[in-house]
Order: sequence, then structure tokens, then C-alpha cells
Amino acid sequence: MIAYLPQALVSGFLMGLIYSLVSVGLTIIWGVMDIINFAHGDFLMLAMFIAFWFYTLFGFDPLVSIPLAAIGIFLLASITYRLLIKRILKESLLTTLLATFGLALFLRNSAQFLWRADYRTILNPVLQGSFSVAGIYVSIPKLVGALISVITVTLVYVFMKKTRIGRAIQAVSMDREAALLMGINADRIYNITFGIGGACVGIAGALLANFYPVSPQAGIFFVIIAFTCVALGGFGSILGSLIAGVIIGIVESVGGVLIGPAFKYAIGFLIYLLVVLIRPKGLFGW
Amino acid sequence: MYRFGLVLAVLMAFSLSGLAEETIRFGAIYPLTGPIADTGQRCKWAVETALEIINNPHPEIDLPLAASAGLPNLGGAKMVAVFADHKANPELGKAEAERLITEENVVALVGCYNSAVTKPASYVAERYGIPFVCGASSSAALTERGLKYFFRIAVTDAMDAKHFFECLNELKEVKGYEIETFAVVYENTEFGQHAAEQTRYWGEHFGYKCVADVPYPFGATDVTSEVLRLKAANPDVVFHATLLSDYILFVRTYKELNYVPKAVFSFCGGFQDPKSIERLGADANYFCGSQIMPPELIPKIPVLNKVNELYKERAGADIDGVTLEIFEAVIVLADAINRAGTTDPEAVVEALRATNIVTDLNIGGGIRFDEKGQNILAKAAVTQVIDGEYRTVLPLSVATTEMIWPIPPWNER
Repeated sequence: MIAYLPQALVSGFLMGLIYSLVSVGLTIIWGVMDIINFAHGDFLMLAMFIAFWFYTLFGFDPLVSIPLAAIGIFLLASITYRLLIKRILKESLLTTLLATFGLALFLRNSAQFLWRADYRTILNPVLQGSFSVAGIYVSIPKLVGALISVITVTLVYVFMKKTRIGRAIQAVSMDREAALLMGINADRIYNITFGIGGACVGIAGALLANFYPVSPQAGIFFVIIAFTCVALGGFGSILGSLIAGVIIGIVESVGGVLIGPAFKYAIGFLIYLLVVLIRPKGLFGW
Repeated sequence: MYRFGLVLAVLMAFSLSGLAEETIRFGAIYPLTGPIADTGQRCKWAVETALEIINNPHPEIDLPLAASAGLPNLGGAKMVAVFADHKANPELGKAEAERLITEENVVALVGCYNSAVTKPASYVAERYGIPFVCGASSSAALTERGLKYFFRIAVTDAMDAKHFFECLNELKEVKGYEIETFAVVYENTEFGQHAAEQTRYWGEHFGYKCVADVPYPFGATDVTSEVLRLKAANPDVVFHATLLSDYILFVRTYKELNYVPKAVFSFCGGFQDPKSIERLGADANYFCGSQIMPPELIPKIPVLNKVNELYKERAGADIDGVTLEIFEAVIVLADAINRAGTTDPEAVVEALRATNIVTDLNIGGGIRFDEKGQNILAKAAVTQVIDGEYRTVLPLSVATTEMIWPIPPWNER
């Protein structure tokens, strides 16, 4: 069993970086707006379908669809903000929770109505297969997915820290009233934040479509993992969810090999529980 | 005027009840919407195909009740299905069974595809003393409950497990292959756990050694650690109890980690769905699984071919193992009611128990129930995907193609 630990470590690390990208979208929405977006997994599912349909109808490889999925889900998230989130921002946490939960059900069932409950795959993407280094197999779609995840997360981080809009987003997230007094248009900031969260998960969806079966149910498990990463990394912390994603990915695959695959998610959730007990704001939360 | 209306109403009620005597209503509960709506729709087409054959003269088809229109012993009464939707939800299946029996006054039930739904729904039928004929639910536990009104057509996972090892014995004895160890990979659900339990039992019974037992969560995001466990244990044969989405993920992960055992056998699940070949392309090749009706047999068996034509008119696709079992459930029920000559549940159950249909429709050669209500003639063949087609490879007596053994490594294909 020990002989396969390096393999588990590498596979878990790559998958973990993809979890990170799914989580980053969730964490910035949560951190800035205090909204738990239950529809996040269904945004991911729709992004996978965007990649799938562009491949099936026009022959676009998922790599080409990445910007399309990012823009598509950015727009969808922005529309969601205008039509739904904006109206309930001031309501209680439960209201926002139920509203996004309702949206999740609506999106999932609409997808099922339109495209059936079927599982589909992208049969011959550019990124496929694996190569071997010192007996360790590295999946090409997961490697490229992990690289793009790191690049995207870095860009979002730089955007937040270095640009005017990014700094405005941080300002709103820290103190909305004060930011309003400084002339920051909080409504616009929220809209952009929601859109960026959507774009991140859009990219993740297009990357996943390379190797994961596409179906209306596809987002459910990923979003549970993303919630864990966000809480583990600290609400609103981009760096936190990057690291938490990697931790969960590695724990899942190494734990699965050492202890047993039946427990692999349980181990991740256990670590999450321990962190929440010892450090409730998460590893990098403030 | 009021009196006239009353008379009219009474007259209409009489004429309606007169009509009702000529039709026999039975309930058909399937997942018509929800996560497996696709399958539910196929079940509905199968029921409709059976009704077409029962209610209209089809002398060209060699099946009970095909030649006549309706049930001859009940004055040519027509069978009518009252469909209900359980959305793959056991609670809903139970409620719908209750509604069909108490409000729709059906004389029998067929369904429900998912073992987990068939279980509570058939308890309801038992409570009301209504016959329940189950087509395609494969959990062996269903016929181990001592129910009096429950009958099942399908091959169970227990029968499949035993059959797999008998086939391995055959490969050892006839072909001289070395097979000693096995592993079982299964989703952590009633279906998976039961199939795994039966695999371990029959494996040890026949003297094989189980070197890895790998349960995984249904709908997993990644199965690397599962496959690494297999790789470390290095079994000769791997058994899978896996539904379609996980099946796709497993095959792709096998490829990613460049791993294959000598053979992979799948229980009822993702492998049998022809979509698995479509979705996996060339990667689907060389995997094996049980199949009660390998598609390549359709053109070769006249009765199957004719039934398939009628099914295809509705579904636009060939009939498969699951839909064939669901089709047979309706034929069996109609045949029993006809032989009973009445819809009285006790008489129908007696007739079901005495069912003895001899047909080439399935490779078991017919349908006959034991005292538990299980079809003792249920039988599956083992098919292997070769060049993107299911080929019957085991048992050797029915094989159409030589089995490819061992599975060639991914990097040598």
C-alpha cells in the first residue's frame, strides 16, 4: 500500500487544486456579501454543460470553452444577483439561504427537463490520457486543470489586492456603511463580486468536463466539498480556500488509500470539524 | 328536470360499470420523472408493448395471449395499465401503490424498477392482498421476505454472483487460465453491499480468494484511491457493482493510472446500459458484465425480434435486458389472470404460482416461479465489449465470440 502513497499524493494534490477553484468562487461571495450561495454547485453543472454543448454542437474543445463558460456563468451570476439576491440582501440569513437553495433546485430541474437525467461525456478532448514520471501517473487533464486553477486563483487574488475595484470589494466586505460614505457603489460591487464568483466556478466546470461525466446532478458532491474548503480555509479568504482545497484533495486520496475509500470523504469532514472546533474562523479567516 | 338528471346519471353509471367489466385495470409504478426518468420512460414503453400484444391479435408472435384480442377466458377483456410515477423515491412508490389500490381499484401491480422502491410498494400490495409482479428489480432480498403476493422475473445479484464464478471455473477448466484472486468494488448502497456480499460468499464457496473489498460513495468526485487499492492488491478479476456515472469515472481512472486486471465483471448497472459504450468510446472495450439478453441475439430469435419491432416503434431503440423483464412481467400477469378466469386476487396468485411459460424470449427458456416467487428460469449470459459491441462470451455453451483474456494493457491498445 505504501508504494502507492506518492501516486495518491500527486493525484490528490491535482484534484485538490481543482476543488480550490470551485471553492474560491464560493468564498468571495460568502466573504464579501455574507451570502451562502447554494446554487454554486449548479453553476458548476451549467458550466460543464456549456463545455459539453459547445463540444457536441460546434466541436469546440473544453479548453476553448473555458472563457465561454467563464463569461456565461459570470452573466448568469450577475443576472441572479439583479433578479434575486439584490432583493433579499437585507433579509435574514435564512431568507438568502432558502432563496439560493430554491434557485439551485430550479437550475438543476430545468437542466434535467431540457437535457434529461442522462450522463454525458466529452469523448475526445485535446487533454486526455496520462504520462508517467518515476512510476507515478499524472493525468494530463487534471494537471492542466490544476495549473489553470492556480493561475485563475492568483489572478483573482491580484485583482482583489491591486486593482481599484478589488480594493473597493475589500472595502465593502469590511465595512459596507463606511464604503458607501466613501462613494463606493456597493450595489455594483456586489454585482461584480457575484459575477467573479460565478466566473471562477465557470472555469472549474469547463475543466471538469474534460474528465468528469456531465449530468444535472454533477455539481452536488463538488459543492459539499467546496463548502468544507471554504469553512476550513476561512470565509472570504482566497489563499485559505486554495490551501484548504489542496488539503481536502490530498486527505481524500491518501486517506482513501491508507484507511479505506469508504472513509475518504469522512476524513476530510473530520479535519474540517476539528479545525472549526479549535479555530472557528478557519485557517486563514479574519 | 332534477329527476331526469338523476335517471341519466344512474344510467350513465350503469353503462360505465358495464364498460369497466370489459377492461382489467392494473397499476404500473415506474420512475417516470426524477433522476432516472430516462429509464422510467423505457419501462413505460415496455408495458405498452406488452399491452399491444395482449389486447390485439398478433398470431405471428409465439407468446401467451398474443394470438387473441384481450383475455379469452374473460370474454376478451382488455388489459389497461394505470401508470404512476415514483421519481425513484421509496416513500412516493409506497404512497402511489396505496393510491392505485384504494382509489383506482387496480387488480394487480407491476413495478417498480428500483429495488429500494419495489420493497415498500410490494409490502403495501401484500397488506391489501393484491398480486405484485416485479420485472427488473435485482436485489435478492426482495424474494426472501416470505411475501405471498410477490413475484419477480429478474435475475438477482445473488444468481449473477454465482454465475460469474461458474464462468470463471469454466475458463480455468476449459481454457486453462490461472485465476485465483478477486476484488469487489461497489457503491455503498443496498444494491452494492448486497452484490458484494454475494460475491464474497460465492467466491469463497468456489475456492477463490478475495484480496480487496472496496466500497465507495455513490456519485463520488474522484476514485483514484479506490483504483490504487485495487492496483496494490493486484487481483486476477475485479467485480463491479456500479451505476453509469461512477462506471464512466472508474473506467477513465483505470486508464489514467494505467491499470487493468485480467478481467472486469459488472453486475446489473452502468455496464449494461448501451450508453456506457457511447460515452466511453474505445475505452469501453474488453470490460464484461451479465446481461439477460445480449443485443446481438435480437435478430437471431424470431419471437424476440418481433417483440423488439413493436418496442422499437415506441422507443426508437432496441429492447434491452431491463425492458424485456418489465415486458415479461405484464405478459405473466395477463397470462395468470386469463388462466384464473377471474381477477379475484387469491385465484390470480394461485395462477401466478402455477405459471409455466416456455419461450425463447430470454436465454433461460421461460418463466416459472419457486415458492418464494422468484423466477427460477431467470438466467444471464456474460457479454464482453469488443470493438464497441456487446458480444456473448460466457458461458461457453452460448458464446458467440471468443473472450479476450486478459484485458490488454491501456498503453498497448
